[in-house]
Amino acid sequence: MMNERRETQGAVAASAQGFAPKAPGEMMRLVDFSAYYGSLEVLKHINLSILQNKVTVFMGPSGCGKSTLVRTLNRMNDSVPGFKTSGKVLLQGEDIYGPEVDPVLLKMRVGMVFQKPNPFPISIYDNVAFGPKIHKMTKSRSEMDAIVKDSLQKAALWEEVKDRLGKSAWGLSGGQQQRLCIARALAVRPEVLLMDEPASALDPGSTAKIEELMVELKENYTVVLVTHNMQQAARVGTNVAFLYKGDLVEFGPAADVFENPKSPLTEKYIRGSL
Amino acid sequence: MEKNVSRATPDPTPTWRHPSVVANHKARTFRSLVFAGLCVACVLAVMIPLGDMLYMFAYRGIQVISIARLTGNPISATPGIGNAITGTAILTALSGAMAIPLGILGGVYMAEFSKGGRFSEALRFCADVLAGVPSIVLGYVCFLAFVVYFNFGYSAMAASIALAIVMFPYVFRTTEIAIRRVPESIKEGAIALGSTKTTMINRLVLRFAMPGILTGVLLALGISLSETAPLLYTANFANYNPTSLFHSQLGYLTGVIYLFYTSNLSFDVQLSYLATFVLIMIVVALNVVARLGLKRFSKV
Repeated sequence: MMNERRETQGAVAASAQGFAPKAPGEMMRLVDFSAYYGSLEVLKHINLSILQNKVTVFMGPSGCGKSTLVRTLNRMNDSVPGFKTSGKVLLQGEDIYGPEVDPVLLKMRVGMVFQKPNPFPISIYDNVAFGPKIHKMTKSRSEMDAIVKDSLQKAALWEEVKDRLGKSAWGLSGGQQQRLCIARALAVRPEVLLMDEPASALDPGSTAKIEELMVELKENYTVVLVTHNMQQAARVGTNVAFLYKGDLVEFGPAADVFENPKSPLTEKYIRGSL
Repeated sequence: MEKNVSRATPDPTPTWRHPSVVANHKARTFRSLVFAGLCVACVLAVMIPLGDMLYMFAYRGIQVISIARLTGNPISATPGIGNAITGTAILTALSGAMAIPLGILGGVYMAEFSKGGRFSEALRFCADVLAGVPSIVLGYVCFLAFVVYFNFGYSAMAASIALAIVMFPYVFRTTEIAIRRVPESIKEGAIALGSTKTTMINRLVLRFAMPGILTGVLLALGISLSETAPLLYTANFANYNPTSLFHSQLGYLTGVIYLFYTSNLSFDVQLSYLATFVLIMIVVALNVVARLGLKRFSKV
């Protein structure tokens, strides 16, 4: 536990200075990254490191840019008119905003789960199979069955739906729908999973299940979590980034940020007086 | 109820027993009943004549119904509306094949690909205007353009083009509206999985919007079945089946209804009733099929 913490701190410190293109244990890195909606600068010179197989949390008050930040990691903001970026976002050392990177294929490597569950109005099986089908990942029905089963198991939903895979996804409860969306995202075998407030629309029981899931998922995936819930961030987060009005105010291991915040803004936010 | 009631002598009667409250309640109940009665009366005022009309056409149409009448041509041993049924089928199929794909693709473009600038505004405006142009005017324009200028002659092709122009705006607008109703969250979910826009549209959006699109298609087909004036201008009328899509007139059910009703021959008048009955049955069948299809589709 202590070793893990030192490794986290070391990697964070080294990569934040932008020395190596890819520091050990690092999955993604933002280098002097800024984002604009037209002439409005919504993210200002962000430098941070997202570590492999860890949960990185983005926190901050409404309007601080955390949703924009997480959506730039898989280029979901490309379709917004007037959106511009400067700086780099490195995925395994390669700039995802570079000219050789295909935004469609990028989304296979960096998946996303949204705040409000958005299952397609088709069967549970077809929902999970959607990604593999459009990317032609499988050659046979049995291969697809295996991927669907595996993804639903990883999302802790298999036991509950294995007897009704053909039923409509819209018949599931909110918590189940969200786990289905997670399974659907996992089916394309991403390296990174972005989760934009995945439990905020759910009841406490489902929220707890999703949090358990996040801790399990980090064994095999790199997780980036946006949340308002500080207890959740403390429970599941490895590193925490605190954003305020587009600036990265503080970034470090979760325990450090919550117990010994360096910035007065962070402290205000934690105390709830921001 | 008195306004200044002193606290020393509280009113023993509960509010819902006060005479004025009770009287007001009785009046309101009465007014509600009158209003409901008026609504029912209005519905009956429409449904009863409609029912009477349907009954009359069924009664008179069934009198002459037989296989021979339905398949034979007006000039033959047993006069029938066979060629009219064939003609209507040809016109509906041909005009549908032109208007429906174009309308759906156009609606998809407007909802998904257009940037909302002046060009799309102009397109939408033109479609709305086109929907309001009387079909007889469109028929005359097509007569000048296709029958005369392009030398199609009175033909199924010229008539189908006229019908397609009439149908197009309805499919176009209802498709755009149906697609705009697809929630953004569904589309985002597909994009986040690495779907291209086209795949997302074909596999998800169209599926979700299908009930609305089908409504537009049904509307358009209903229109093509019921038009008369533009067909008279572009296909004239014939008592035989067409030999080609160009330079060959054809018969159609609405033409039979219009032209045969005033005929001196009683046979022809009877055929007119038969054509009316058949046309109504086709429209009913179309709606039934559509509703069944929609039910199956919405089951997901």
